[in-house]
Amino acid sequence: MAKRDPHLVATRIVEDAGGELVGRTRLQKIAYLLQLAGFGDEFQFEYKHYGPFSEDLARGMEIATAFGQVQEDEQQAGWGGWYSIYRLPNARPPSDPSRAEFVRTAKEIGAVELELAATAAFIFAVEGIGRTKEGNPWAETRARKREKARDGRLERAAAQYAQLRQFPTPTQLPVLPTP
Amino acid sequence: MPGLLTGAKLRRIRCPVHNLIDFGSTPDRAGRQLELELWRVIETRPFQRLRRIKQLGFSELVFPGATHTRFAHSIGVFHVARQLVGAIRRSVADTDERQVHVAIAASLLHDVGHGLFSHAFERFGEQFNLNMAQHEHVSSELIRGGEIADVLKEKMGRGFADEVADMVKAKQPANLYASVVSSQFDADRLDYMQRDRLMTGVRSSDVDAMWLISNLEVRSVNTGSEDGQTGSVETLVLGHKARQTAESYIVAVLHLYQNVYGHRATRGAETTFFALMCQLRRLCQEERIGASGLPPNHPLVRFMADSESLENALALDDTVFWGALPFLVAAEDGTLRSLAVRLRDRRLPTYVDIRALVEAAFPPAAREDMSVRKARLARIKLTCGNVLSALDERQASTPMGERAVITDEYERSPYRRFDTGRTPMNQMHIRVGDGVLDMATVSSVVAGAEPFNLCRAYIFRDDTESRTMVMNIIRTEIGRAGHGEA
Repeated sequence: MAKRDPHLVATRIVEDAGGELVGRTRLQKIAYLLQLAGFGDEFQFEYKHYGPFSEDLARGMEIATAFGQVQEDEQQAGWGGWYSIYRLPNARPPSDPSRAEFVRTAKEIGAVELELAATAAFIFAVEGIGRTKEGNPWAETRARKREKARDGRLERAAAQYAQLRQFPTPTQLPVLPTP
Repeated sequence: MPGLLTGAKLRRIRCPVHNLIDFGSTPDRAGRQLELELWRVIETRPFQRLRRIKQLGFSELVFPGATHTRFAHSIGVFHVARQLVGAIRRSVADTDERQVHVAIAASLLHDVGHGLFSHAFERFGEQFNLNMAQHEHVSSELIRGGEIADVLKEKMGRGFADEVADMVKAKQPANLYASVVSSQFDADRLDYMQRDRLMTGVRSSDVDAMWLISNLEVRSVNTGSEDGQTGSVETLVLGHKARQTAESYIVAVLHLYQNVYGHRATRGAETTFFALMCQLRRLCQEERIGASGLPPNHPLVRFMADSESLENALALDDTVFWGALPFLVAAEDGTLRSLAVRLRDRRLPTYVDIRALVEAAFPPAAREDMSVRKARLARIKLTCGNVLSALDERQASTPMGERAVITDEYERSPYRRFDTGRTPMNQMHIRVGDGVLDMATVSSVVAGAEPFNLCRAYIFRDDTESRTMVMNIIRTEIGRAGHGEA
């Protein structure tokens, strides 16, 4: 079902992030973890190559940037890939400080670690691996994202997810089995 | 024939798109063995079922020639996959033959789980979150167990069927070989673009597949995130001589969506089918099967009773539905009867083109700056979305099958540009000198190609009230948007 005014919800995430958020992947994964933590239910997420992804959120941010409510600055990384930096032209104080604190903590996590954490949480919460089905969501994440999970990134992702769980949130993030 | 496995017979199929497709003539012994095993897979019940599923669902109501099946398409995808693998072999010294075989098998089997009328059934599945109406899931289940798995396990070894199923189920390619099965330049698309064009008879959307394939090579491309590089992957890349052909390919996809897949009458028939299935499900759930006109053991009723059963999903195909139609047009339930009559007699619902009306309300200026255009298109998209939300809210208490108005929304980008949120293996790359660039970087045509959007309201009641409701909501939302509220 189409949701009303998705651009306003997308803009609010940048607002909660302190007015700047780097990367589409970061935006998507923070939005997913926000919803998992009970901060709203505006978007439907499905599993894509990079983990949980919402078309409605992508559409919302596209509209927000087209309207100028969020400025999008496209940059090229040293390795050649392109990424976006989202900024609010006029930063406003967040309406919910606890939500904003959650977002600001999540945005400091590395993009790959955040992707791994959100993916493991999705695999556990939605696909049921480690919850209603056999398996471990971290092991499944490692199997799906072998290259990204290397060099200690998966273990860092698990540790940072555990830290995020410490935040008081409307719904506590689910406890994931250890990797 | 020299080199043929002892006792094995070369198998051939005549294809209207690719001409002769053979099984068992590949030069290497392992490849021949695979192909002959895949021939046995074709002979299984799940694969033969694809003969009874039209590739384009209800498109034949618009394009009478479009009666081709998922069976013919799947054989074609197998053929194209072999050609793409040939390009990998030309370019990679140490080809992973196991992965090659998995990719070829996955290409043949990628659609084995399609439900009746192909994608039309999936919309019904999405409405009620039914795994067995989602073709990748059903394909994966059919490959992992049952007749297909038995054939694959016998000669290809344990684990092979699971590897094929994993590749089919993945929505994005995990490696070079998987990109043959699923990417923006995969065997599936290379086949359906040619086949659908031929069978519908449309004259646009021609694609020079042979030139594209003959210009393929494998190159290494960096991967990473906004924080830095994480590694590199091998991926298919087109030589610079294929640049214009690649542009045509991407534009051809867009035109197929505009002219064929998004056709208003086809989508109208699909929406009618969707409404009918929703109503049938409701009757079954309310234990009013008798009102449907179908016997309790009909495959459609059995599927509605247990939508998680693979066997129930496997029992469905287009012919089962058409066979049910005489019963459905005699249904006691008036809604179901009316929807069945519409499909039988091609009395499709009228529609309001929401997108066209909203676009007309926000016309472009004579000389439109790109940022102004972007904002205008965003306003159109937002307004259309809000119209759909309002229509859904207005009818929220009415069961889907009973609704006077059913909305239809779809967006298709001709090409998704590479960014850190995507895998390079899903992209079309062009080699420029020693470097490799994404198509959207190389081509201004591709970079500027805007998505195809449709947003419609199909009206199922022959009264003016429903149309008036739709028009009033559109006017209200356009007014909101015009006043900057949206």
